[in-house]
Amino acid sequence: MVEIYRSKYYSLQQAVRERAFYLDLGQKTIRMSLCQLLSLRHKVMSISLESHFDCDLNKHGFEVLLLCNKEHLFILNTMEVIDLKNLVEHGFVALGLSVATEAVEV
Amino acid sequence: MKDIARQSMSIKVESMDLLNGQIKMEAHASATYLAMASWCEQNGFFTSAKFFFKQAEEEREHMMKIFNFLVDTGGSPISPEVTNINHDYSSIVDVFENTLEHEVKVTKSIHNIVKKARELGDIATERFLDWFVMEQVEEENTIRDILDMIAVTGTEGVGLQMIDNQVANWIE
Repeated sequence: MVEIYRSKYYSLQQAVRERAFYLDLGQKTIRMSLCQLLSLRHKVMSISLESHFDCDLNKHGFEVLLLCNKEHLFILNTMEVIDLKNLVEHGFVALGLSVATEAVEV
Repeated sequence: MKDIARQSMSIKVESMDLLNGQIKMEAHASATYLAMASWCEQNGFFTSAKFFFKQAEEEREHMMKIFNFLVDTGGSPISPEVTNINHDYSSIVDVFENTLEHEVKVTKSIHNIVKKARELGDIATERFLDWFVMEQVEEENTIRDILDMIAVTGTEGVGLQMIDNQVANWIE
């Protein structure tokens, strides 16, 4: 297994033989195909961080993330969301699928 | 390191995001033309209604073309949410003026994706959009011609009826 990118809380790894990716989210590690990784990217990049600083939009400052066709459920706080966005952004650059160095809008 | 990500996907994610945005725009255009067809039907412009029904279908075809390109390149196409469709127009001229405005917006958006794809070195996306660039030239030209015809015909007397009849010339 080869580490693609490690952020403060999470890490993304690649298993070449399995043609799969592993995302270590602390509580558990989940196996993903590239399609599922793209889906995760869409979900994570669609999270509005602004809403975490507005009590009317996000009262408790948490995000519920359902991954891999509802197989996994994660509840993330603001810092974890920021970190996951960072992991996704840099992870895709490391994979050669993105050339961006700053967050992109999804 | 074996590049399994590149083996699964042949375009950049930035291009994918922009193309997903374009899918949404084409879906919005399709819904807008359907609303225009509805307005035309309700106000007695039956030929114009046919024209907009056809335009709505075409925009959906454009959307599907992009959707399938994302599928073919291993990307993740997103089925768009379509909201805020305007159903209120003050006249048939207003309808066609809005149509031209909409087409210009679509053209700008396509050009923007071409420029970004070029910046990213994403040749597949750039070449894929060639067809859309030329299609937009045609689309804009059609609406401009209709607006010219409206200006020449005028909206007084039987003008409106003549305008509606003339629109048939632009239905292939």
